[in-house]
Amino acid sequence: MAVLLVPCLAIVGPAGCGVGSSDAGVREAGQESTLTVLAASSLTDAFGELTKIFEEQNPDTEVRASFESSSTLLTQIQQGAPADVFASAAQDEMDEAAKDGLVAGKPKIFVKNREVIIVPVANPANIERFRDVAKPDVRLVLAEDGVPAADYALKILGKANAEYGSGFEQDVLSNVVSREADVRAAVNRVVVSDADATFGYASDYTPDIRNRTKVVQIPPDLNIVATYPIAALEDAENPDLARDWVSLVTSEEGQRVLEEWGLEPAV
Amino acid sequence: MKKTGKGGLLPSTLAGGDTLASGMAVTALALLAGFISLPILSLLLWTVNENSWRAMATPEARDALLLSIRTTSISMLIIVSVGTPAAYVLARKNFHGKRLLDSLIDIPAVLPPSAAGIALLLTFGRFGLAGKYLEAFGVQVTFTTAAVVIAEVFVAAHFYVRQATVGFSQVRRDVEEAARVDGAGSIGVFTKITVPLALPALVAGAVMAWARALGEFGATIVFAGSFQGVTQTIPLAIFAEFQSNLDAAVALSVLVLGFAFTVILVVKVLTARMTADEY
Repeated sequence: MAVLLVPCLAIVGPAGCGVGSSDAGVREAGQESTLTVLAASSLTDAFGELTKIFEEQNPDTEVRASFESSSTLLTQIQQGAPADVFASAAQDEMDEAAKDGLVAGKPKIFVKNREVIIVPVANPANIERFRDVAKPDVRLVLAEDGVPAADYALKILGKANAEYGSGFEQDVLSNVVSREADVRAAVNRVVVSDADATFGYASDYTPDIRNRTKVVQIPPDLNIVATYPIAALEDAENPDLARDWVSLVTSEEGQRVLEEWGLEPAV
Repeated sequence: MKKTGKGGLLPSTLAGGDTLASGMAVTALALLAGFISLPILSLLLWTVNENSWRAMATPEARDALLLSIRTTSISMLIIVSVGTPAAYVLARKNFHGKRLLDSLIDIPAVLPPSAAGIALLLTFGRFGLAGKYLEAFGVQVTFTTAAVVIAEVFVAAHFYVRQATVGFSQVRRDVEEAARVDGAGSIGVFTKITVPLALPALVAGAVMAWARALGEFGATIVFAGSFQGVTQTIPLAIFAEFQSNLDAAVALSVLVLGFAFTVILVVKVLTARMTADEY
């Protein structure tokens, strides 16, 4: 038994390895079901709270949520990682998953997020407005190429280039000292004050870092609003539970929780 | 070793004894060999099938490989030059608190590398215990190649020091004494007698330490960051590619596999020759 479990564990966790999964639609009392949710890093806190609510509503169910950048999650799903729900921070990853026939039904846009600049509360590089990230000697960190938060940041810089004059984008990019695995890692660089600034989502400015960081807004005409799609997956072990999760996230209660964590309701 | 004359698959010492036990042992070995070769085979097959060899020749791959070679070379230089005398002291001298010091050196080996990275970040980061003084002098460690070397030395030094200590303690004291009687100074005894006699252990330890430094990921990504040509070593480049281009990630894995295999093979052949020359 232990031998059989190992390959499953290596992918995303034991969920979906056949442990506790019952026939589709049949949930016997007292039998543990597991719902595996793959979600973008920026949903970590909000989905953490929704997990508790979902488990209260479905006492025999355990929710296993895995938070990574949407692009990593897409790769995991394409490689056959057992999962029931995918919540992406960008349309592209969801479109790709849908194109590969991995998604059940039509994905729903459930929330919006905007980009902000996050700086240490002491603000060592003196970044007071968006333009200041182009100043020389600013230590800027970005998430990895392909991570939606970083891709949006690059799009914003492209737009800003048109407004602030050529060279702006280049000046900002030459300040980049590191490309972090995901937005949370980039934000933590600012939390420990090793980086002077990063581009993150409004939802990344979480209560636990508010005493160490502050936000500098990006002008609305330059900003790009991220839309988050969610969908149950075609190979879901528990299609019913997956649908219930999507319903919770798009319900009034779910939207309220998401709003508490800095996301803009979109249902 | 006594020859059984059968020339079969079973090692001679096992074949003569309990056949069931030796059969089980051989099965275990075959299982282990299969378990290790299967993932390696999968990497190669994927690269062949997807024809993703070209990903090994991209600037990202080249920069990552060169950075890995550069940083592991510097790390090994530091580890060997500091670790050799340190290991000798641990092997030969008895002093108060030696056991505590011994355990301290083992800590990086049991500490998860990500935890090591956070520890290094809190030490050498801008407001770190040591970092704040460096920052005052305008020296920044995080996000530089120096940080990669620091991470590698931190996680890998143990492997060399441990092996070297064992190697030194196996060198008989009377051989050293005899050389000393013949008029050799203590540094002469160390470099001409002790080190050559302990060489196989030193090389084995260095290979282990180098392999650990080459594979270093957790401490580097947490502490040093990831930037092409500066801090993005091969393991970090593989992880970065995994986010966007799986074929390239696989190709890079094959590249580092080939590189590591070649280095270890060369070292083994060289040490076999060196030790053969000694006797």
